[in-house]
Amino acid sequence: MSSKGTFDQISPSEFFYRNRDLAGFSNPTRSLYTAVREFVENALDACDQQGILPDVHLSIKAVDPEKPDPKPYILSVKDNGPGIESKHVPLAFGTVLYGSKFGLKQARGMFGLGATMAILYGQITTNKPVHVKSSTDGKTQDEFELILDIQKNKPIILKHETKDTSKTGLSISICLEGDYAKAGSKIRDYVYQTSLITPYATVTFDDPKGEKFRYTKIIRSMPPAPTIISPHPYGVDVETIKRMIGDSMFSIPTVDNNTIEKVKTELGLRKKDLNYTEIMAQAKRRWSSLTRNVRVVIAVMSFLKMDFDKLSKIRMDDIDVSRKKLTFWDFGESKSFTIDMDPESDYYKQLTNTVQGETLVSFLTKRFQRVGRTTAEKFAEFAGFKPEKRIGTMTNEELVKLSDSLQKFPTFLSPDPSCLAPLGAEPLEKGMKAFFNPDFISVIQRGASAYSGFPFVVEMGIAYGGAIPAGGTKVYRFANRIPLLYDEGSDVVLKVVGEIDWSRYKVKGDPPLVIVSHICSTRIPYKTVGKENVSDRPEIERELRLALQFLCRKLASYMSKRGLAEMEKKRANLYLKYLPLVAQFCTELAGKKKEPDYKKMLKEAVSIEAET
Amino acid sequence: MKPKPKTQPKKSTEERRKSLAQLLKNKGTEIYEDLEKGKFPSFSVPSRSVSNIVYDTKLRQYILGSNASLRSSRNMSQLRSFTQLMWLAFFANRLVNEKKSSTLRDIYYSSQAFAVDFEDQPESDNIIVDLEAVLTRPREDLHIFPEERSSVFGDLTIEYTVPGYEGKRSNLSDHPDGYLIGPSLSSCELVDTSAELVIAIEKGGLFTRFVEEKVDKKFKAIIVDTAGQAPRSTRYLLKRLHDEMGLPVVILTDGDVYGEHIAMVIKSGSANAAHLRELTVPDAKWLGVWASDIEKYKLPTIPMTESDIKRISDLQKDPRYQEGNWKKQLEIFLKLKRKAELEAFSKYGLTNITDKYLPEKPELAKSL
Repeated sequence: MSSKGTFDQISPSEFFYRNRDLAGFSNPTRSLYTAVREFVENALDACDQQGILPDVHLSIKAVDPEKPDPKPYILSVKDNGPGIESKHVPLAFGTVLYGSKFGLKQARGMFGLGATMAILYGQITTNKPVHVKSSTDGKTQDEFELILDIQKNKPIILKHETKDTSKTGLSISICLEGDYAKAGSKIRDYVYQTSLITPYATVTFDDPKGEKFRYTKIIRSMPPAPTIISPHPYGVDVETIKRMIGDSMFSIPTVDNNTIEKVKTELGLRKKDLNYTEIMAQAKRRWSSLTRNVRVVIAVMSFLKMDFDKLSKIRMDDIDVSRKKLTFWDFGESKSFTIDMDPESDYYKQLTNTVQGETLVSFLTKRFQRVGRTTAEKFAEFAGFKPEKRIGTMTNEELVKLSDSLQKFPTFLSPDPSCLAPLGAEPLEKGMKAFFNPDFISVIQRGASAYSGFPFVVEMGIAYGGAIPAGGTKVYRFANRIPLLYDEGSDVVLKVVGEIDWSRYKVKGDPPLVIVSHICSTRIPYKTVGKENVSDRPEIERELRLALQFLCRKLASYMSKRGLAEMEKKRANLYLKYLPLVAQFCTELAGKKKEPDYKKMLKEAVSIEAET
Repeated sequence: MKPKPKTQPKKSTEERRKSLAQLLKNKGTEIYEDLEKGKFPSFSVPSRSVSNIVYDTKLRQYILGSNASLRSSRNMSQLRSFTQLMWLAFFANRLVNEKKSSTLRDIYYSSQAFAVDFEDQPESDNIIVDLEAVLTRPREDLHIFPEERSSVFGDLTIEYTVPGYEGKRSNLSDHPDGYLIGPSLSSCELVDTSAELVIAIEKGGLFTRFVEEKVDKKFKAIIVDTAGQAPRSTRYLLKRLHDEMGLPVVILTDGDVYGEHIAMVIKSGSANAAHLRELTVPDAKWLGVWASDIEKYKLPTIPMTESDIKRISDLQKDPRYQEGNWKKQLEIFLKLKRKAELEAFSKYGLTNITDKYLPEKPELAKSL
């Protein structure tokens, strides 16, 4: 590489401005669709998190209806969610990578990044500000007009007013270049399918041609909200482990005035001036209520045998736990001292914990989900570490070994699915019933499973007949309550559906059949950045297949019952038609006047099992 | 021995009609009683599958074996065809009782008036054959005739039994075009004849020529035009002429494999009609044109087609062609790979066939 090149740091806004294709803003068609998705999904996520039954209103209007596509559109999304506090609004909508969704749990979007991207895209294509209205208390509403300073990644507030309102919620409106002529059908599909997988929400859409789509709530109860949880051992890499170790370790305390003040406060000694022994006694009394930082300082003091006055005149240089030496610089005497630490002392253990981090067993049991003491000890043996090995003392090589072993250890419990938010079998069934009005429906929610340490749950429903038009199987795919509309060809769900031998389940020809598949996971393994198709992880494929086979068996038993009923009906009709004729003919043939009494046979005929 | 001329009709037609009517009534009563008892009625239909068609050397014809299938109204898939069969019995009963005639095509159309649905005429034709098999009576007895007609000419007095003509007599030499062998001739009583022979000819053209040449007088013969493969009504008439009037039957056909088989069917029936026993004339003789005649009379010929040759090898598997003249002629045909028409004799003059050929035939002489 040439050394003449200049190296500039660019802001996240700048980065996304230059790489907007990655986030789905490659052209006016795709951009309009992506913008709709981002705003609608944010609105639904916000309501979900607060347990509010969502009412989301989407509207797209052409700025100048006469102009041909692509052209500027005004895209507005309004929800009844919790709103965003006034002080966060400019940052939330005027900064890239500012978000509230950085937890390990299932949500539609991860960081609220896309909404900002949509705003950014709108701004660069139409040079119009974004309008945000937000109310968190249902009394006052803050109205903002913002523009993004792309280079500085900072919002510029053009206007801010506060008005009275009667509802909480967020309303956002941007102007962007789009192509509704091309994106329209996808957007309508998106709204339709989103309503199908969110039967507890009301979603409306006013399209630029004046068409109004209304999908009202089918159920009035929310599925249980997911909880934020610790990671599963399978799901972490070396970098994550390093970060986790950092969180649990403290560096050598600097004993400056601030620290001393803090210690004094926690010991309740702000006004008093106690000697060393009295301080230690007080610390012992209050030990359980002390913060970790303060405990570390007390531990150091116990070896130094100093009061606060002396402590303020030294600088801690080194705590060598393995050699049990403590080194400090005395400003008063201008020289360095090294003292021994008593390994039997409780304070010694405290320092050890602080400097070297927790033991491996403690680290595993406290920082990861579903790891108990026994499992942790077995793992230590498996990985070739001592259970009491301090994680803070691990070298880079050891950390890699730890990370590898975590992936390979076979007996960790499967991931905790409480971070997942499947819709639930009943809401799914109700949604599908209302949407498809079928003759037959069956749904299943599989138990939680995991791939590479990420938990997932598969929900699936199958509907047959009724108002569903014939013409082959229609598959609706969802991931984390988002419809997947593009790139159908390579999706794992379609692969599994394609492999089903329908004739085994008594389904023939182009059946009036609908399959709804919903995969929930903390991380959906999308094949592409476009997030439209799920890759065929064997674990996911297996769960999908089991779910579908279960549903198909239900369908098959319905089909055979239906077949029997149809056969019976056919049979009844047949006898109703022919038996009177037979009676008529044989009466004349036999030379009788009165027809034989065959009516009772009609009944019997229907009950005869089909013999052929 | 020449049978004595009869002056009184045997009333055989009337007897057959009555026994058939009784048979139909019995079937109807059976089914009526089943229904009264709440039992699903059924017909036992002799199987007409190839495996159930056997050649009976004693009867000298194909007959059905003992396999029969039950067509039950209890079985959903058979209910429709059971009803069709039932309807046909009912309809045939009307025809027989009212002395009305119908044709195969007419049956197909008549069914529609009774809400009995046939997909097409082959389906109704098939049901007619089923009923023939159930009753072991030919459809002509049920007053159901095919569309095609053949003719008869000669000194034969008949007495009609059809309504409006009952008791009326006719002599079949009264009209030079001959008489159509239709329903009225099929149901007539045979009263009297001076003839001593029946000549069945394959072709209408030769039939007309024979009438012109007064073959009936020269040979004291009744001439029958089979119009190709003889229809059943014609075969039935031939049988009656032989059985009731004691007349020998000879057959003249083209000099090809089809001609040979036309003669064979008159003599010993067809596999198609294996369920019927009253259509054969086992004593009938095939006069020619034989394959050997082609060489003997140096007749003009045309080459055989591939289907002619295939037909020969098919017939060679037939048990009736395993011996005698039947076998020999097939072999010569196969050797010649040529065939001759009856008209080939015109080469030697228009009357050659009647003047020269017929009298020379030893079989003719023998049967005379």
